[in-house]
Amino acid sequence: MAERLTYLSDAWRDEAEKRLKAELEPEKMKFITSSMSNIYTGCPDGKDRYLFFGFRDGKLDTLSIGEGEPPGAEFRITGSYDTFARISRAELGSHRALMTGKLKLKGNMVKALKLASIADRLNRVLSTIPAAY
Amino acid sequence: MKQNNDPYYIDFPGRIQAIQEAMANLNIDAYLGSRLRTLSWTLDAFCPWRSFIVIPARGLPTAFTFVIDAARVADDSWLDEDQVFGFAPMGGQDQIEQISDFIRDRLKGGKGRVGIESGMSNYLPEGNLTHYEYQQFKAALPDAELVNAHTIIDRLAMIKDPGTINRFKEASRIVDVGHQAVFEALSNGGYKEMTETEIAGLAAYAMRKAGSEWEWSFTGGNEIASGYRTGYMGGACTPATRKKIVAGEPLMVDIHAMFKLGLGDHAHNYFIGSATDRQWWHANNFIDIVKRTIEAYRPGITPSQLAEEMMDFAESREFADYMVPGFEHGIGMMGDEWRIGLNDGPFPYWTNPDHVYRENEVLICAMQYACPEEAIGFRYENPIVLTPGGCDVMSKYSLGVELIV
Repeated sequence: MAERLTYLSDAWRDEAEKRLKAELEPEKMKFITSSMSNIYTGCPDGKDRYLFFGFRDGKLDTLSIGEGEPPGAEFRITGSYDTFARISRAELGSHRALMTGKLKLKGNMVKALKLASIADRLNRVLSTIPAAY
Repeated sequence: MKQNNDPYYIDFPGRIQAIQEAMANLNIDAYLGSRLRTLSWTLDAFCPWRSFIVIPARGLPTAFTFVIDAARVADDSWLDEDQVFGFAPMGGQDQIEQISDFIRDRLKGGKGRVGIESGMSNYLPEGNLTHYEYQQFKAALPDAELVNAHTIIDRLAMIKDPGTINRFKEASRIVDVGHQAVFEALSNGGYKEMTETEIAGLAAYAMRKAGSEWEWSFTGGNEIASGYRTGYMGGACTPATRKKIVAGEPLMVDIHAMFKLGLGDHAHNYFIGSATDRQWWHANNFIDIVKRTIEAYRPGITPSQLAEEMMDFAESREFADYMVPGFEHGIGMMGDEWRIGLNDGPFPYWTNPDHVYRENEVLICAMQYACPEEAIGFRYENPIVLTPGGCDVMSKYSLGVELIV
Protein backbone atom coordinates (compact mmCIF):
# COMPACT_ATOMS: atom_id res chain seq x y z
CA MET A 1 0.00 0.00 0.00
CA ALA A 2 1.34 3.42 -0.98
CA GLU A 3 2.41 5.83 1.70
CA ARG A 4 -0.38 8.17 2.75
CA LEU A 5 0.52 11.82 2.51
CA THR A 6 -1.00 14.29 4.92
CA TYR A 7 -3.66 16.25 3.03
CA LEU A 8 -2.47 19.80 2.24
CA SER A 9 1.04 19.10 3.51
CA ASP A 10 4.11 20.12 1.48
CA ALA A 11 4.62 16.50 0.45
CA TRP A 12 1.00 16.28 -0.69
CA ARG A 13 1.42 19.50 -2.70
CA ASP A 14 4.56 18.16 -4.39
CA GLU A 15 2.77 14.97 -5.33
CA ALA A 16 -0.26 16.91 -6.56
CA GLU A 17 1.91 19.11 -8.74
CA LYS A 18 3.71 16.08 -10.19
CA ARG A 19 0.46 14.27 -11.01
CA LEU A 20 -1.36 17.32 -12.39
CA LYS A 21 1.53 18.17 -14.69
CA ALA A 22 1.82 14.58 -15.85
CA GLU A 23 -1.85 13.81 -16.34
CA LEU A 24 -3.42 17.07 -17.43
CA GLU A 25 -2.08 18.02 -20.81
CA PRO A 26 -2.79 21.54 -22.09
CA GLU A 27 -5.26 20.17 -24.64
CA LYS A 28 -7.19 18.37 -21.92
CA MET A 29 -7.22 21.65 -20.02
CA LYS A 30 -8.54 23.47 -23.11
CA PHE A 31 -5.42 25.69 -23.02
CA ILE A 32 -7.02 27.78 -20.27
CA THR A 33 -5.37 30.66 -18.53
CA SER A 34 -7.11 31.02 -15.21
CA SER A 35 -6.63 30.75 -11.48
CA MET A 36 -8.54 29.37 -8.56
CA SER A 37 -8.12 29.56 -4.81
CA ASN A 38 -9.70 26.90 -2.63
CA ILE A 39 -10.06 28.23 0.87
CA TYR A 40 -10.28 25.59 3.58
CA THR A 41 -11.79 26.77 6.82
CA GLY A 42 -11.33 24.85 10.07
CA CYS A 43 -8.39 22.65 9.18
CA PRO A 44 -7.56 19.95 11.82
CA ASP A 45 -5.10 22.31 13.51
CA GLY A 46 -7.80 24.97 13.72
CA LYS A 47 -6.26 27.17 11.02
CA ASP A 48 -7.59 28.26 7.62
CA ARG A 49 -5.56 27.39 4.55
CA TYR A 50 -5.68 27.97 0.84
CA LEU A 51 -4.77 25.87 -2.15
CA PHE A 52 -4.01 28.06 -5.14
CA PHE A 53 -3.98 26.79 -8.74
CA GLY A 54 -2.65 28.92 -11.56
CA PHE A 55 -2.91 27.73 -15.17
CA ARG A 56 -1.32 29.39 -18.15
CA ASP A 57 -2.20 28.16 -21.64
CA GLY A 58 -3.47 24.94 -20.16
CA LYS A 59 -0.29 24.21 -18.16
CA LEU A 60 -0.16 24.19 -14.38
CA ASP A 61 1.91 27.24 -13.62
CA THR A 62 1.52 27.58 -9.87
CA LEU A 63 0.30 25.29 -7.13
CA SER A 64 0.73 26.71 -3.68
CA ILE A 65 -0.57 26.06 -0.21
CA GLY A 66 -0.53 28.64 2.52
CA GLU A 67 -2.23 30.32 5.42
CA GLY A 68 -3.97 33.66 5.50
CA GLU A 69 -5.15 35.65 2.48
CA PRO A 70 -4.67 33.68 -0.76
CA PRO A 71 -3.24 35.21 -3.92
CA GLY A 72 -5.83 36.95 -6.09
CA ALA A 73 -7.60 34.45 -8.32
CA GLU A 74 -10.30 34.47 -10.97
CA PHE A 75 -12.33 32.03 -8.87
CA ARG A 76 -12.41 31.68 -5.15
CA ILE A 77 -14.07 28.64 -3.58
CA THR A 78 -14.61 28.64 0.14
CA GLY A 79 -15.66 25.69 2.28
CA SER A 80 -14.82 23.72 5.35
CA TYR A 81 -11.82 21.42 5.42
CA ASP A 82 -14.24 18.58 5.99
CA THR A 83 -16.22 19.43 2.83
CA PHE A 84 -13.11 19.58 0.65
CA ALA A 85 -11.84 16.35 2.23
CA ARG A 86 -15.13 14.61 1.45
CA ILE A 87 -14.90 15.80 -2.15
CA SER A 88 -11.33 14.53 -2.38
CA ARG A 89 -12.43 11.17 -1.02
CA ALA A 90 -15.23 11.13 -3.63
CA GLU A 91 -17.83 11.01 -0.88
CA LEU A 92 -19.39 14.29 -2.04
CA GLY A 93 -19.65 15.73 -5.54
CA SER A 94 -18.36 19.26 -6.00
CA HIS A 95 -21.54 20.26 -7.85
CA ARG A 96 -23.71 19.00 -5.00
CA ALA A 97 -21.49 20.82 -2.51
CA LEU A 98 -22.04 24.05 -4.42
CA MET A 99 -25.77 23.51 -4.87
CA THR A 100 -26.29 22.84 -1.18
CA GLY A 101 -24.21 25.83 -0.15
CA LYS A 102 -21.42 23.76 1.42
CA LEU A 103 -19.04 25.44 -0.97
CA LYS A 104 -19.22 29.11 -1.95
CA LEU A 105 -17.97 30.22 -5.32
CA LYS A 106 -16.91 33.77 -5.98
CA GLY A 107 -16.33 34.65 -9.62
CA ASN A 108 -18.17 34.76 -12.91
CA MET A 109 -20.60 31.84 -12.91
CA VAL A 110 -20.84 31.74 -16.70
CA LYS A 111 -17.08 31.38 -16.99
CA ALA A 112 -17.13 28.87 -14.13
CA LEU A 113 -19.62 26.75 -16.07
CA LYS A 114 -17.20 26.68 -18.98
CA LEU A 115 -14.50 25.44 -16.62
CA ALA A 116 -16.64 22.99 -14.66
CA SER A 117 -15.48 19.93 -16.58
CA ILE A 118 -11.87 21.04 -16.25
CA ALA A 119 -12.27 21.43 -12.49
CA ASP A 120 -13.74 17.93 -12.38
CA ARG A 121 -10.69 16.58 -14.23
CA LEU A 122 -8.44 18.34 -11.78
CA ASN A 123 -10.32 16.96 -8.78
CA ARG A 124 -10.19 13.45 -10.23
CA VAL A 125 -6.40 13.61 -10.39
CA LEU A 126 -6.14 14.96 -6.85
CA SER A 127 -8.41 12.21 -5.56
CA THR A 128 -5.90 9.60 -6.72
CA ILE A 129 -3.28 10.82 -4.23
CA PRO A 130 -3.21 8.51 -1.20
CA ALA A 131 -3.92 10.95 1.57
CA ALA A 132 -4.43 11.02 5.29
CA TYR A 133 -6.99 13.60 6.41
CA MET B 1 -19.73 47.96 -30.38
CA LYS B 2 -21.02 49.22 -33.71
CA GLN B 3 -19.43 52.22 -35.36
CA ASN B 4 -21.28 55.45 -34.87
CA ASN B 5 -22.16 55.69 -38.59
CA ASP B 6 -24.74 53.00 -37.82
CA PRO B 7 -28.15 54.76 -37.78
CA TYR B 8 -29.11 52.65 -34.76
CA TYR B 9 -25.93 53.40 -32.83
CA ILE B 10 -26.41 54.43 -29.22
CA ASP B 11 -23.55 55.69 -27.08
CA PHE B 12 -23.99 53.29 -24.18
CA PRO B 13 -20.65 54.15 -22.49
CA GLY B 14 -21.82 57.78 -22.66
CA ARG B 15 -25.08 56.81 -20.96
CA ILE B 16 -23.16 55.09 -18.16
CA GLN B 17 -20.93 58.13 -17.75
CA ALA B 18 -23.99 60.38 -17.51
CA ILE B 19 -25.46 58.11 -14.83
CA GLN B 20 -22.17 58.21 -12.93
CA GLU B 21 -22.13 62.01 -13.07
CA ALA B 22 -25.66 62.10 -11.68
CA MET B 23 -24.67 59.58 -9.00
CA ALA B 24 -21.75 61.79 -7.97
CA ASN B 25 -24.09 64.76 -7.61
CA LEU B 26 -26.28 62.72 -5.28
CA ASN B 27 -23.35 61.16 -3.36
CA ILE B 28 -24.31 57.71 -4.60
CA ASP B 29 -21.44 55.23 -4.62
CA ALA B 30 -23.10 52.41 -6.54
CA TYR B 31 -26.37 52.09 -8.45
CA LEU B 32 -28.33 48.86 -8.33
CA GLY B 33 -30.79 48.89 -11.24
CA SER B 34 -33.50 46.26 -11.45
CA ARG B 35 -36.17 47.72 -13.73
CA LEU B 36 -36.53 46.30 -17.20
CA ARG B 37 -36.38 49.82 -18.64
CA THR B 38 -33.08 50.47 -16.87
CA LEU B 39 -31.61 47.20 -18.11
CA SER B 40 -32.60 47.88 -21.72
CA TRP B 41 -31.40 51.47 -21.55
CA THR B 42 -28.01 50.59 -20.13
CA LEU B 43 -27.24 47.15 -21.58
CA ASP B 44 -28.75 47.15 -25.07
CA ALA B 45 -29.98 43.62 -24.39
CA PHE B 46 -33.42 42.22 -23.65
CA CYS B 47 -33.49 40.74 -20.14
CA PRO B 48 -36.60 38.56 -19.80
CA TRP B 49 -35.45 36.98 -16.54
CA ARG B 50 -34.94 38.79 -13.25
CA SER B 51 -31.84 40.85 -13.83
CA PHE B 52 -29.83 43.62 -12.24
CA ILE B 53 -27.15 46.08 -13.22
CA VAL B 54 -24.58 47.47 -10.83
CA ILE B 55 -23.08 50.76 -11.91
CA PRO B 56 -20.01 51.73 -9.89
CA ALA B 57 -18.91 55.31 -9.30
CA ARG B 58 -16.37 54.92 -12.12
CA GLY B 59 -15.75 52.36 -14.82
CA LEU B 60 -17.88 49.79 -16.55
CA PRO B 61 -21.15 48.48 -15.19
CA THR B 62 -21.78 44.81 -14.51
CA ALA B 63 -24.98 42.96 -15.29
CA PHE B 64 -26.41 40.06 -13.33
CA THR B 65 -29.04 37.72 -14.66
CA PHE B 66 -30.29 34.16 -14.34
CA VAL B 67 -27.38 31.94 -15.35
CA ILE B 68 -29.33 30.24 -18.14
CA ASP B 69 -29.46 33.53 -20.02
CA ALA B 70 -26.23 35.24 -19.00
CA ALA B 71 -24.11 34.17 -21.98
CA ARG B 72 -26.83 35.31 -24.39
CA VAL B 73 -27.19 38.67 -22.63
CA ALA B 74 -23.42 39.12 -22.82
CA ASP B 75 -23.53 38.29 -26.53
CA ASP B 76 -26.33 40.76 -27.25
CA SER B 77 -25.05 43.52 -24.98
CA TRP B 78 -22.25 45.97 -25.64
CA LEU B 79 -20.55 44.60 -22.52
CA ASP B 80 -18.21 41.63 -22.75
CA GLU B 81 -18.60 38.42 -20.77
CA ASP B 82 -16.45 39.68 -17.90
CA GLN B 83 -19.15 42.25 -17.18
CA VAL B 84 -22.14 39.88 -17.25
CA PHE B 85 -22.60 37.48 -14.38
CA GLY B 86 -25.08 34.65 -14.10
CA PHE B 87 -26.66 33.81 -10.79
CA ALA B 88 -27.75 30.35 -9.72
CA PRO B 89 -28.80 28.46 -6.62
CA MET B 90 -25.26 27.61 -5.56
CA GLY B 91 -23.09 28.65 -2.67
CA GLY B 92 -22.02 32.25 -3.20
CA GLN B 93 -23.86 32.43 -6.50
CA ASP B 94 -27.43 33.31 -5.58
CA GLN B 95 -28.42 36.79 -6.66
CA ILE B 96 -28.42 38.38 -3.22
CA GLU B 97 -25.01 37.11 -2.14
CA GLN B 98 -23.40 37.53 -5.54
CA ILE B 99 -24.60 41.09 -6.02
CA SER B 100 -24.12 42.25 -2.42
CA ASP B 101 -20.55 40.83 -2.42
CA PHE B 102 -19.92 42.65 -5.67
CA ILE B 103 -21.27 45.94 -4.34
CA ARG B 104 -19.44 45.60 -1.01
CA ASP B 105 -16.15 45.19 -2.86
CA ARG B 106 -16.80 48.53 -4.51
CA LEU B 107 -17.65 50.45 -1.35
CA LYS B 108 -14.91 51.75 0.90
CA GLY B 109 -15.07 49.53 3.97
CA GLY B 110 -18.51 48.37 2.86
CA LYS B 111 -19.86 51.85 3.62
CA GLY B 112 -21.61 54.16 1.24
CA ARG B 113 -24.87 55.03 -0.49
CA VAL B 114 -26.39 52.56 -2.91
CA GLY B 115 -29.06 53.74 -5.33
CA ILE B 116 -31.94 51.33 -5.83
CA GLU B 117 -35.15 51.35 -7.86
CA SER B 118 -38.33 51.33 -5.82
CA GLY B 119 -41.84 52.43 -6.68
CA MET B 120 -44.94 51.11 -8.39
CA SER B 121 -46.27 50.86 -11.90
CA ASN B 122 -49.26 49.84 -13.97
CA TYR B 123 -46.81 47.94 -16.09
CA LEU B 124 -46.46 44.48 -14.57
CA PRO B 125 -42.87 43.72 -15.64
CA GLU B 126 -41.58 47.07 -14.34
CA GLY B 127 -39.04 45.36 -12.11
CA ASN B 128 -38.80 47.56 -9.05
CA LEU B 129 -36.87 45.99 -6.20
CA THR B 130 -39.26 43.76 -4.28
CA HIS B 131 -39.79 44.11 -0.55
CA TYR B 132 -37.99 40.82 -0.02
CA GLU B 133 -35.04 41.79 -2.20
CA TYR B 134 -34.76 45.12 -0.41
CA GLN B 135 -34.70 43.43 2.99
CA GLN B 136 -32.09 40.92 1.86
CA PHE B 137 -29.80 43.51 0.29
CA LYS B 138 -30.16 45.72 3.35
CA ALA B 139 -29.17 42.83 5.62
CA ALA B 140 -26.27 41.86 3.34
CA LEU B 141 -24.96 45.43 3.19
CA PRO B 142 -25.42 46.54 6.81
CA ASP B 143 -23.09 49.53 6.53
CA ALA B 144 -24.58 50.84 3.31
CA GLU B 145 -27.55 53.16 2.93
CA LEU B 146 -30.03 52.12 0.26
CA VAL B 147 -31.67 55.15 -1.37
CA ASN B 148 -34.33 55.28 -4.07
CA ALA B 149 -32.61 56.73 -7.13
CA HIS B 150 -34.57 55.72 -10.24
CA THR B 151 -35.11 59.36 -11.16
CA ILE B 152 -31.49 59.39 -12.38
CA ILE B 153 -32.40 56.97 -15.18
CA ASP B 154 -35.86 58.43 -15.78
CA ARG B 155 -34.46 61.90 -16.34
CA LEU B 156 -31.64 60.76 -18.62
CA ALA B 157 -33.90 58.45 -20.67
CA MET B 158 -36.62 61.03 -21.29
CA ILE B 159 -35.14 62.78 -24.33
CA LYS B 160 -34.34 60.29 -27.06
CA ASP B 161 -31.08 60.29 -29.03
CA PRO B 162 -31.05 59.74 -32.83
CA GLY B 163 -30.15 56.04 -32.55
CA THR B 164 -33.11 55.37 -30.29
CA ILE B 165 -35.48 57.36 -32.50
CA ASN B 166 -34.27 55.46 -35.56
CA ARG B 167 -34.86 52.15 -33.81
CA PHE B 168 -38.43 53.25 -33.07
CA LYS B 169 -38.91 54.34 -36.67
CA GLU B 170 -37.71 50.99 -37.98
CA ALA B 171 -40.00 49.15 -35.54
CA SER B 172 -42.86 51.30 -36.83
CA ARG B 173 -41.97 50.51 -40.43
CA ILE B 174 -42.17 46.82 -39.54
CA VAL B 175 -45.56 47.34 -37.88
CA ASP B 176 -46.78 48.86 -41.14
CA VAL B 177 -45.72 45.68 -42.93
CA GLY B 178 -47.85 43.78 -40.43
CA HIS B 179 -50.85 46.01 -41.08
CA GLN B 180 -50.51 45.56 -44.82
CA ALA B 181 -50.45 41.77 -44.34
CA VAL B 182 -53.59 41.91 -42.19
CA PHE B 183 -55.37 44.05 -44.77
CA GLU B 184 -54.49 41.65 -47.57
CA ALA B 185 -55.57 38.62 -45.53
CA LEU B 186 -58.92 40.16 -44.61
CA SER B 187 -59.74 41.46 -48.10
CA ASN B 188 -61.93 39.75 -50.70
CA GLY B 189 -63.80 37.73 -48.11
CA GLY B 190 -60.60 36.48 -46.48
CA TYR B 191 -61.99 37.49 -43.10
CA LYS B 192 -64.68 34.77 -43.21
CA GLU B 193 -64.13 32.13 -40.50
CA MET B 194 -61.03 34.03 -39.40
CA THR B 195 -60.52 34.52 -35.65
CA GLU B 196 -58.89 37.30 -33.67
CA THR B 197 -56.03 35.01 -32.68
CA GLU B 198 -55.42 34.15 -36.34
CA ILE B 199 -55.15 37.83 -37.23
CA ALA B 200 -52.73 38.32 -34.35
CA GLY B 201 -50.64 35.44 -35.65
CA LEU B 202 -50.53 36.45 -39.29
CA ALA B 203 -49.54 39.97 -38.32
CA ALA B 204 -46.82 38.51 -36.12
CA TYR B 205 -45.54 36.32 -38.95
CA ALA B 206 -45.38 39.21 -41.40
CA MET B 207 -43.58 41.41 -38.86
CA ARG B 208 -41.12 38.67 -37.89
CA LYS B 209 -40.36 38.14 -41.58
CA ALA B 210 -39.65 41.86 -41.75
CA GLY B 211 -37.25 41.64 -38.82
CA SER B 212 -39.30 42.14 -35.68
CA GLU B 213 -37.85 40.46 -32.63
CA TRP B 214 -41.08 40.21 -30.66
CA GLU B 215 -44.69 41.35 -30.41
CA TRP B 216 -43.43 42.97 -27.26
CA SER B 217 -46.60 44.14 -25.54
CA PHE B 218 -47.42 42.37 -22.28
CA THR B 219 -51.08 42.79 -23.21
CA GLY B 220 -51.02 39.56 -25.16
CA GLY B 221 -48.71 40.56 -27.98
CA ASN B 222 -50.90 41.72 -30.82
CA GLU B 223 -54.23 42.99 -29.54
CA ILE B 224 -57.16 42.18 -31.79
CA ALA B 225 -60.79 42.95 -30.96
CA SER B 226 -63.93 42.59 -33.01
CA GLY B 227 -67.60 43.44 -32.50
CA TYR B 228 -68.61 44.35 -28.96
CA ARG B 229 -65.02 43.78 -27.80
CA THR B 230 -63.96 46.99 -29.55
CA GLY B 231 -66.22 49.00 -27.28
CA TYR B 232 -65.40 48.06 -23.71
CA MET B 233 -66.28 51.03 -21.52
CA GLY B 234 -63.07 52.89 -20.73
CA GLY B 235 -61.14 49.93 -22.08
CA ALA B 236 -57.90 49.91 -24.00
CA CYS B 237 -56.61 46.38 -23.61
CA THR B 238 -57.77 43.57 -25.85
CA PRO B 239 -55.69 40.40 -26.01
CA ALA B 240 -56.90 38.41 -29.03
CA THR B 241 -59.53 35.72 -28.47
CA ARG B 242 -60.99 32.89 -30.50
CA LYS B 243 -63.94 35.12 -31.50
CA LYS B 244 -64.68 34.90 -35.21
CA ILE B 245 -64.71 37.96 -37.44
CA VAL B 246 -68.28 38.69 -38.47
CA ALA B 247 -69.69 40.95 -41.21
CA GLY B 248 -71.28 44.13 -39.92
CA GLU B 249 -68.91 44.42 -36.97
CA PRO B 250 -65.96 46.70 -36.34
CA LEU B 251 -62.47 45.25 -36.06
CA MET B 252 -59.56 46.77 -34.14
CA VAL B 253 -56.01 45.67 -35.02
CA ASP B 254 -53.37 46.87 -32.55
CA ILE B 255 -50.02 45.30 -33.34
CA HIS B 256 -46.52 45.53 -31.91
CA ALA B 257 -43.02 45.00 -33.25
CA MET B 258 -39.61 45.34 -31.63
CA PHE B 259 -36.39 46.37 -33.35
CA LYS B 260 -33.23 46.54 -31.24
CA LEU B 261 -35.40 47.26 -28.18
CA GLY B 262 -37.15 50.10 -30.02
CA LEU B 263 -40.89 49.59 -30.01
CA GLY B 264 -43.51 49.80 -32.73
CA ASP B 265 -47.14 50.11 -31.66
CA HIS B 266 -49.84 51.05 -34.11
CA ALA B 267 -53.58 50.39 -34.12
CA HIS B 268 -55.72 50.42 -37.25
CA ASN B 269 -59.48 49.95 -37.51
CA TYR B 270 -61.89 48.34 -39.95
CA PHE B 271 -65.54 47.70 -40.67
CA ILE B 272 -66.19 44.19 -41.91
CA GLY B 273 -68.55 43.63 -44.84
CA SER B 274 -70.64 46.74 -44.42
CA ALA B 275 -71.26 49.65 -42.08
CA THR B 276 -74.33 51.68 -41.19
CA ASP B 277 -74.48 55.47 -41.30
CA ARG B 278 -74.43 55.48 -37.52
CA GLN B 279 -71.27 53.37 -37.48
CA TRP B 280 -69.63 55.77 -39.97
CA TRP B 281 -70.65 58.69 -37.74
CA HIS B 282 -68.69 57.11 -34.93
CA ALA B 283 -65.76 56.35 -37.26
CA ASN B 284 -65.60 59.91 -38.57
CA ASN B 285 -65.65 61.30 -35.04
CA PHE B 286 -62.74 59.08 -34.19
CA ILE B 287 -60.69 59.95 -37.28
CA ASP B 288 -61.28 63.67 -36.78
CA ILE B 289 -60.12 63.64 -33.18
CA VAL B 290 -57.03 61.62 -34.07
CA LYS B 291 -56.10 64.14 -36.77
CA ARG B 292 -56.69 67.03 -34.38
CA THR B 293 -54.63 65.43 -31.66
CA ILE B 294 -51.67 64.77 -33.94
CA GLU B 295 -51.81 68.37 -35.11
CA ALA B 296 -51.84 69.57 -31.50
CA TYR B 297 -48.75 67.74 -30.24
CA ARG B 298 -45.75 70.02 -29.94
CA PRO B 299 -43.10 70.91 -27.39
CA GLY B 300 -44.43 73.19 -24.65
CA ILE B 301 -47.88 71.72 -24.20
CA THR B 302 -48.91 69.41 -21.37
CA PRO B 303 -51.05 66.26 -21.26
CA SER B 304 -53.79 68.10 -19.39
CA GLN B 305 -53.88 71.00 -21.88
CA LEU B 306 -54.13 68.57 -24.74
CA ALA B 307 -56.85 66.49 -23.05
CA GLU B 308 -58.93 69.59 -22.31
CA GLU B 309 -58.63 70.83 -25.87
CA MET B 310 -59.59 67.45 -27.34
CA MET B 311 -62.43 66.80 -24.94
CA ASP B 312 -63.83 70.25 -25.76
CA PHE B 313 -63.75 69.25 -29.42
CA ALA B 314 -65.45 65.92 -28.66
CA GLU B 315 -68.10 67.73 -26.64
CA SER B 316 -68.73 70.15 -29.51
CA ARG B 317 -69.35 67.17 -31.80
CA GLU B 318 -71.42 65.35 -29.15
CA PHE B 319 -69.19 62.31 -28.82
CA ALA B 320 -67.38 63.17 -25.57
CA ASP B 321 -69.27 60.35 -23.84
CA TYR B 322 -67.41 57.89 -26.04
CA MET B 323 -63.87 59.18 -25.50
CA VAL B 324 -61.51 57.81 -22.89
CA PRO B 325 -60.04 61.15 -21.71
CA GLY B 326 -56.37 60.31 -22.26
CA PHE B 327 -54.39 60.91 -25.43
CA GLU B 328 -51.00 59.32 -24.86
CA HIS B 329 -48.90 56.95 -22.90
CA GLY B 330 -45.19 56.89 -22.28
CA ILE B 331 -42.73 54.74 -24.18
CA GLY B 332 -39.03 54.05 -24.20
CA MET B 333 -36.73 51.15 -24.90
CA MET B 334 -38.22 47.77 -23.98
CA GLY B 335 -39.62 47.82 -20.46
CA ASP B 336 -40.40 51.53 -20.44
CA GLU B 337 -44.14 51.79 -20.94
CA TRP B 338 -46.95 53.83 -19.57
CA ARG B 339 -45.83 56.78 -17.45
CA ILE B 340 -44.65 59.92 -19.22
CA GLY B 341 -41.80 61.99 -17.81
CA LEU B 342 -40.70 61.91 -14.21
CA ASN B 343 -42.46 60.77 -11.08
CA ASP B 344 -43.41 64.31 -10.12
CA GLY B 345 -47.17 64.42 -10.51
CA PRO B 346 -49.97 64.69 -7.95
CA PHE B 347 -50.47 60.91 -7.98
CA PRO B 348 -47.22 59.02 -7.40
CA TYR B 349 -46.02 56.98 -10.36
CA TRP B 350 -48.74 58.26 -12.70
CA THR B 351 -48.14 60.72 -15.50
CA ASN B 352 -47.89 64.28 -14.29
CA PRO B 353 -50.74 66.07 -16.13
CA ASP B 354 -48.62 69.22 -16.09
CA HIS B 355 -45.58 67.58 -17.66
CA VAL B 356 -44.26 69.96 -20.32
CA TYR B 357 -43.33 68.13 -23.50
CA ARG B 358 -39.90 68.77 -24.98
CA GLU B 359 -38.31 68.23 -28.36
CA ASN B 360 -37.21 64.63 -29.01
CA GLU B 361 -39.47 63.12 -26.40
CA VAL B 362 -41.11 59.99 -27.79
CA LEU B 363 -44.56 58.93 -26.69
CA ILE B 364 -47.42 56.85 -27.94
CA CYS B 365 -50.22 59.03 -29.22
CA ALA B 366 -53.08 56.88 -27.99
CA MET B 367 -56.83 57.25 -28.12
CA GLN B 368 -59.70 54.95 -27.36
CA TYR B 369 -63.21 55.58 -28.58
CA ALA B 370 -65.83 53.27 -27.09
CA CYS B 371 -69.59 53.05 -27.32
CA PRO B 372 -70.51 49.82 -25.53
CA GLU B 373 -74.25 50.18 -26.03
CA GLU B 374 -73.73 50.10 -29.80
CA ALA B 375 -70.98 47.47 -29.64
CA ILE B 376 -68.52 49.73 -31.41
CA GLY B 377 -65.12 51.20 -30.65
CA PHE B 378 -61.85 52.25 -32.23
CA ARG B 379 -58.28 52.58 -31.04
CA TYR B 380 -55.41 54.69 -32.24
CA GLU B 381 -51.85 54.18 -31.14
CA ASN B 382 -48.75 55.44 -32.88
CA PRO B 383 -45.31 56.41 -31.59
CA ILE B 384 -44.58 60.10 -32.16
CA VAL B 385 -41.42 62.08 -31.67
CA LEU B 386 -41.79 65.73 -30.76
CA THR B 387 -40.13 68.02 -33.29
CA PRO B 388 -39.42 71.74 -32.87
CA GLY B 389 -42.75 72.69 -34.43
CA GLY B 390 -44.96 69.67 -33.81
CA CYS B 391 -44.52 65.95 -34.02
CA ASP B 392 -43.42 63.25 -36.42
CA VAL B 393 -45.75 60.27 -36.59
CA MET B 394 -43.63 57.13 -36.89
CA SER B 395 -46.06 54.60 -38.32
CA LYS B 396 -46.91 55.80 -41.82
CA TYR B 397 -49.85 53.46 -42.39
CA SER B 398 -52.73 55.50 -43.72
CA LEU B 399 -55.07 56.90 -41.11
CA GLY B 400 -58.67 55.84 -41.55
CA VAL B 401 -61.34 53.28 -40.78
CA GLU B 402 -61.38 50.96 -43.76
CA LEU B 403 -64.30 48.94 -45.08
CA ILE B 404 -63.31 45.35 -45.85
CA VAL B 405 -65.44 43.43 -48.30
